[in-house]
Amino acid sequence: MATISSVFSVISQALDADQAALSIVANNVANANTTGYTREVPNWQENQPIEIGGVSYGAGVTETGATSVRDNVLQERLTQQQQLASASGSRLTALNTLQALFTPASGSTSSTAGDIGSDITSFFSSFSSLEVNPGNDALRQQVLSSATTLAGDVSNAAAGLNSQKAALDQEAAGVTSQVNALTGAIAQLNQQIQSTSATADAGTLEDQRQQDLSQLSQLIGINQVTTENNGLSITTTSGQLLVSEGSSVPLTSGNSGGVTHFFVGTTDVTSQLASGGGELGGYLTARDGDIPNVLASLDQLAYSVSTQVNTLNNGGTDLAGDSVNAGNIFSQPQQVLGSAEAMSVVVRDPNHIAAAGSGQGTGDNSNVVAMAKLASQSVVDGQSPTDFYSSMVTKLGSTVSGVEAENTAQNASVTQLTTQNSALSSVNLNDEAAFMQQFERSYQAASQVFTMLDKIMASALNLGTETAVS
Amino acid sequence: MRVDPFFVTNLVEPLDQTQLSEQQLTAELSSGVRVNSLSQDPVASGENVLLLNQIQRDDSFTQSSSLVQGKLQVTDSALGSVVSQLTQAISLATSANNGTMNSSNLKSISNQIDGIREEVLALANTNYQGQYIFAGGQTSNTPFTMSSGTSPATTTYSGDGDVNSLQTPNGQSIQLNVPGDQIFAASGANGVFAALNKLVADYASGSPSASAVTDTEALGSALNYVSQQRVVVDSSLSKLTAASVAVASEKAQLTVAQTNLMQADVAQVATQLSLSETQQTALEAVISQLGSNSLFSKL
Repeated sequence: MATISSVFSVISQALDADQAALSIVANNVANANTTGYTREVPNWQENQPIEIGGVSYGAGVTETGATSVRDNVLQERLTQQQQLASASGSRLTALNTLQALFTPASGSTSSTAGDIGSDITSFFSSFSSLEVNPGNDALRQQVLSSATTLAGDVSNAAAGLNSQKAALDQEAAGVTSQVNALTGAIAQLNQQIQSTSATADAGTLEDQRQQDLSQLSQLIGINQVTTENNGLSITTTSGQLLVSEGSSVPLTSGNSGGVTHFFVGTTDVTSQLASGGGELGGYLTARDGDIPNVLASLDQLAYSVSTQVNTLNNGGTDLAGDSVNAGNIFSQPQQVLGSAEAMSVVVRDPNHIAAAGSGQGTGDNSNVVAMAKLASQSVVDGQSPTDFYSSMVTKLGSTVSGVEAENTAQNASVTQLTTQNSALSSVNLNDEAAFMQQFERSYQAASQVFTMLDKIMASALNLGTETAVS
Repeated sequence: MRVDPFFVTNLVEPLDQTQLSEQQLTAELSSGVRVNSLSQDPVASGENVLLLNQIQRDDSFTQSSSLVQGKLQVTDSALGSVVSQLTQAISLATSANNGTMNSSNLKSISNQIDGIREEVLALANTNYQGQYIFAGGQTSNTPFTMSSGTSPATTTYSGDGDVNSLQTPNGQSIQLNVPGDQIFAASGANGVFAALNKLVADYASGSPSASAVTDTEALGSALNYVSQQRVVVDSSLSKLTAASVAVASEKAQLTVAQTNLMQADVAQVATQLSLSETQQTALEAVISQLGSNSLFSKL
């Protein structure tokens, strides 16, 4: 049978439960703006009813703690998208810097300064002008100066690309320490979570772990696997183990062939990381893919133009009377790689330009006609120099605009997923206000019952006489 | 259905986007250029390189052709003077051959033809801007030298038979010179100097030599030959004019095409800019109106 004192204990348990619930609401409100905080809801557990003499009596309620409201699948999708968005974002930044070296000329004289396409045209045009009067010193000087401009702009562009590559290399190397700090923290959290709440959601600890995971995924591409007892294993997108239970494997970097390479243990994972996502993936794709592609094209252009012009010059007669050994106009590159940065004019005396054909008098212009014709011959990788440059810039522009579109789409996706996640897990002040009201009322109700019980107890004690106990 | 509690603060991002697009549009408007970076229009950027190349080549040809024109005109007028000198020489020789002249007249005719020969020699050694125009490829050396040691005198040609040509952007080839050995050949049936030297020698002694008439006829053929060579120069001049006109009109068309490709459409940009501004104002109003009220303020 239910006694008054047992009812007292039920009510006082109710008051405790309501108090606990109110403190959860307070915690939610206090943490409304904390990054990564997931809102908590109180868990109400009905106590086991007591059976006495075949009659069961309710035993009240206990508040068994708070549960964080999170959707693990949604959060995993979010980290996956964040990886992709960071990768295309950092790659896009690098590409924008890269394409600034090749801004299209609008046609006005100021805009064509530094434009390699215009330099190529001016260079071959200077040969065309020389056809008219091969012995004229002013026209020969013009050839030299346009050659110098072309060589200067090509080598500057190549130098710019190389210095950008070095800058990206440094940024990539800097990511390693951040990654290691995060994987270390996650491993520790794994240990704590597994020891404190192996079967239920770990609340604040889980929040922290999710935060670290989100930051980590923005740095490098990861895959996550949930293991037993709320553990988490993290691997790179290509399968290298980074975190397993309570231990983390550090990512190391080292110099190899002039660039930084990345290792997990002893395995070189650089090319896998490049396609894996995250900021590091973006840096590496730009450093090892985009920049070398443009450099290779510039090298091809410089090599072909230098070699063809030098060959022709060495096959003609110059003003100093040298036939078939007038010398090189450009410094002759030994190989295609690196010829753009090394491109320079080595001829000093305009008289050494071999305008005349071999064995001809100095007034002949057949050799300079041949040099001018190079502009329309397929001397650079099956294309004329201008066509080659034109397709180079179109390819580069298309790549950048493709990455731009990708990045926009991925950012939109991240925004959408973040909104969904916030809707579920962020603290909604309206909800908390309503809950607060609800728990407050039930606290009031319970305390009213308590007051009523108190009066009943007093009556019982008095056994009818009103004055003994009040 | 749950709602994202941060949706109002998240509106700041689209606001930033509209400001960014306003910035880009303003830059386009102020510079007048539509394509400021390769990624804005990759195909147009590539096309632009090709168009600018053609335009600059046409420009360079226009400048070269005015230099060439000067040289060809000097060549033409030199040849014209040669023709009139030779005509005069022929009429002198003809009058000497008609048998009515005495010894001193004939000697004076010889001297006059000698004078004409000097003139023609000077014309054959015409120099234009430091280059001997009738020397073929050996333009830094005087092509024709005469030695009076023998009788008749001998003229030697130290140039060669090299012909230069100018390439037009359309692939045409315009001949730039006529070598001296083709016009004034030092020896041979068409030789101008050979004929003049012989004629001078023919009348020098005061009585016409046996070959005077033949030599006069030879001078006549030489004159015809010079006139024919002059046609080559004239045809180069007219080819050059035609090419210049074609190139100038091509350049004008290409410039229009390139401008259309790269320049900003001001009207369109201005419209987009005003749309962006409207959007920005609207977003700002929304953000400030909605604010961040919650149920708490009503309790």
